[in-house]
Amino acid sequence: MNDTNPGAQHVVSRLMRESLMDKKLIAGTESAVRAILPRLNVVQIGGLSIMDRGHTAVLPLLDEIIANQEEHTQVIGVGPGVRARHILSVGLDLGLPTGALATLAAKSSAQNAYMVSCLLANHGFVYLEAPFIVQLLPAMLAAARGAVFNGIPPYDLWEHPPAVGKIPPHGSDAGSYLVGEVFGARSVILVKDVDGLYTADPKTHPDAKFIAEISAAELIRMQLPTLPIEPVVLDLMTRAKLAKSIRIVNGLVPGNLTRALAGEPVGTLIHL
Amino acid sequence: MQAPDNAMLTDLGKRLVSGSLSDAALQKATEATPSHAILPWVNVVKIGGQSIMDRGRSAVGPVVDEIVANLPHHKMILGTGAGTRARHVYSLAIDLGLPIGVLTVLGTAVAWQNAQMLQYMLARHGIAFLEPEGFASLPHYLMERGAVICQGMPPYKLWEQNPEVGRIPPQRTDTGCYLIAEVFGARRMTYVKDEDGLYTADPKKDRNATHIPRISVQELLERDLDDLVVERAVLEMMLNARHMREIQFVNGLKPGQLTAALNGEPVGTIIFNAAAPGGSK
Repeated sequence: MNDTNPGAQHVVSRLMRESLMDKKLIAGTESAVRAILPRLNVVQIGGLSIMDRGHTAVLPLLDEIIANQEEHTQVIGVGPGVRARHILSVGLDLGLPTGALATLAAKSSAQNAYMVSCLLANHGFVYLEAPFIVQLLPAMLAAARGAVFNGIPPYDLWEHPPAVGKIPPHGSDAGSYLVGEVFGARSVILVKDVDGLYTADPKTHPDAKFIAEISAAELIRMQLPTLPIEPVVLDLMTRAKLAKSIRIVNGLVPGNLTRALAGEPVGTLIHL
Repeated sequence: MQAPDNAMLTDLGKRLVSGSLSDAALQKATEATPSHAILPWVNVVKIGGQSIMDRGRSAVGPVVDEIVANLPHHKMILGTGAGTRARHVYSLAIDLGLPIGVLTVLGTAVAWQNAQMLQYMLARHGIAFLEPEGFASLPHYLMERGAVICQGMPPYKLWEQNPEVGRIPPQRTDTGCYLIAEVFGARRMTYVKDEDGLYTADPKKDRNATHIPRISVQELLERDLDDLVVERAVLEMMLNARHMREIQFVNGLKPGQLTAALNGEPVGTIIFNAAAPGGSK
């Protein structure tokens, strides 16, 4: 027996004794992934773009979610908005590290998600914290009629230090995308207050051109100074196994979410 | 939009509240903020899964004795690796077509089992086990008892990210322990494995492999070795880290190496960041 690690008590497996850091071994694990919830649609509601506007923006969007409830299984991620910006400001001023800032900001999106779940409760939506997404989402979707979750992923103190500055790189766009990827969702829709991607920020550059469809790699290459989504989502998409596209739509325009759920070309589609 | 009263905000705060967080200039501006080390005296020590825990008493016993001997001198967060049961469950889950996030949930359970076992061995010395949710109590346990135990996996669960190649979760217990050290601004990050550190190849397989006592993370990434003593994700994180400038690898099968590392001696292998500290870029 070629025991390269004498003394250890092994369980027999294909990866037994091997270094999991070995490139050849890692490459050898490449194979197909099954979609766990292929009928799921992940709808991410922006914090600053939708929630912070209050009822004029939020209620029509929630009405549209309810109108689509019969046709489409939806889980709703929610972003943190301006309160996260405020606590980033105070936290940075105190010298707190990125992981502490991520933990603090995640509470702001938890508040927003909880408010959305209250407004959808009458229609059978439930609020699920991360541990319940892990344990209960499939059961909840079978029993309840939808779920709302905190868009910010539960990285907390373990958030990655970014290459530049200290702002936590994984916000609610990244968290919602990763929920779509791990469950193999049918669609990931990011609801914002812009029509999609432009070559520049249309709020400050009236001559900005609209981009209806683009690959994540191409968008990374363009190096736009600002994006309506977190840049880290593009990196995640280049490694997608299942969630190979996301759609950005303007949630202030009635009907956009419905069209996106129906698979119509509205807003901007970013694909692998 | 209902924004808070701007009068209370710093200049950076005003930009954070009104601007886009993906704005490169805004991100750059956050570099200039102070960096507060939360627990600058704590040492994070990772006890290997396959390399130490899977060996049972012959390896774990002496490591436990050495930890106990160091309790009066060094405060320690002890994280555990996963090991052979994780390899088995990863193999099975890959074969079943399950995604990376599910593999991370499964691997976390194995690191958790090892942390529980280590805690049973250290319980008589008053050492507690903490889940990530309980980390706010860390300072208390460290002050009162000198050490705590946690499982080494980062709490990413279903939110773990796909690697560029393959199906193995890229951020496992080496990464989880490193990020604990980074966020708390720890004194040292020490990995206890079953080798004397880093070699030019896997010494278990290649007799010509030579030992590397000290190397920069930049050079190590440049060499692009086929195999490594540490998860690649740790090397990538080191490039961006604000606090943890170096990490050390010691052989837990050789008594005294962990103690030497805790005392700041150059045993095993040290990987260090040769670039200027973050914030001065």
